Amino acid sequence: MIAVLALLAGVVLGVWLDPTVPTALQPYLPIAVVAALDAVFGGVRAKLDRIFDDKQFVVSFISNVLVAGLIVYLGDQLGVGGQLSTGVVVVLGVRIFGNVAAIRRHLFRA
Amino acid sequence: MTGPAGDGRGRGDRVYAPDFLTELFRNPLDPGYADAAARRRERQTPPAGWRHWSVRSVSLVVAVALGFLFAVAYRQTLEAEPGRSQARSGLVEQIKQRETETDRLSVRADELRAEVARQREAALGGSEAARLRTLEAGTGLGPVRGDGVVVRLADAPQNPDAVTGADVGPSRVIYSDLQGVANDLWAAGAEAIAINGQRLTAMSTIRSAGQAILVDFRPVSGPYEVSAIGPGSMRDRYEDSRSALTMRKVAEDTGLSFGVRKAEDLTLPAAPDPRLRYAQPSVSPTPSPSGADRSASPGPPGSRTSPSPSGGGR
Repeated sequence: MIAVLALLAGVVLGVWLDPTVPTALQPYLPIAVVAALDAVFGGVRAKLDRIFDDKQFVVSFISNVLVAGLIVYLGDQLGVGGQLSTGVVVVLGVRIFGNVAAIRRHLFRA
Repeated sequence: MTGPAGDGRGRGDRVYAPDFLTELFRNPLDPGYADAAARRRERQTPPAGWRHWSVRSVSLVVAVALGFLFAVAYRQTLEAEPGRSQARSGLVEQIKQRETETDRLSVRADELRAEVARQREAALGGSEAARLRTLEAGTGLGPVRGDGVVVRLADAPQNPDAVTGADVGPSRVIYSDLQGVANDLWAAGAEAIAINGQRLTAMSTIRSAGQAILVDFRPVSGPYEVSAIGPGSMRDRYEDSRSALTMRKVAEDTGLSFGVRKAEDLTLPAAPDPRLRYAQPSVSPTPSPSGADRSASPGPPGSRTSPSPSGGGR
């Protein structure tokens, strides 16, 4: 519950502060969002599985975002940025999908 | 993200899955959660006190950061979208503006050309002016009138591919069709040719730029009418030519329309002045007029008052 409130607080903060993203970081923003979504759904599922762990959540969020950004950066340097970010999106998308399916089973028993 | 196998958690040692994708589909949750839960179960005592709360607050800070990230990314996407569509509409606007400007300027050029012709006639007067007109008519730089044929080509009616929606096949008139028609009309004895009111000269080009066909670097669009002034036998000779036979076959096969008809009293406009940059005139100042007599019949003086492109026939 507190986590949801914190999330909302973050949204309000983002809308209120309205920061401009540096141009160098703009390509990584969508990938960072996907990685963050993966961490969020993983955390929610763990919560419903009653195995949520704060440290694990923090570490998975930070490492997901960093690794995803790093892969896209590497891809950009190697000239295969588009393909590598597709790979990242596919892998994270599969995980999100699986976790959402587990959450759905928890909530609706179906 | 190469996770250890989820079912290895009880034993404590990590077994790496042989097939990463299968593992990914079967067990999408970070195995760290299970490991942490197992550790907690082993200890049996929840970590109480400030340590627990500090970890908890870090997690809340991460939640705030998450919301922040989502909000920023959302706003970023929203801001980028109008920028893109604005750039596109701006470009479309520019294209339209330049097109109207080009039209205006070419109308102005035609006016000025007529004015120059009038002034020159006034200055020269008499036989000199008549010879100049004859030369101009022959080279395509002066408007001409006469009987001839009109070859009409038009794209097939839109027949988009059901799957891709793309226009497929040779159902469109392409520049080489127009080239073939023009060449065979010359071969059939034409003395002056215009495509959609664009007079052809010795230096004219018919080429394609993407989907458009450019005649002398001006775009022409379908239906295309190639008007030619020439002898009465020109129509029959053209009908036997290669391009006519080819186009008839293509028209049968694809639904493109192709027609040749006789036309009386065609008026073909003048072509724009050639911009000679490298070739210098090397004729003597008083050329013999015999060279000009082979050219088309000169239009009567009254015909040059209206240089507007009207070569499409009737």
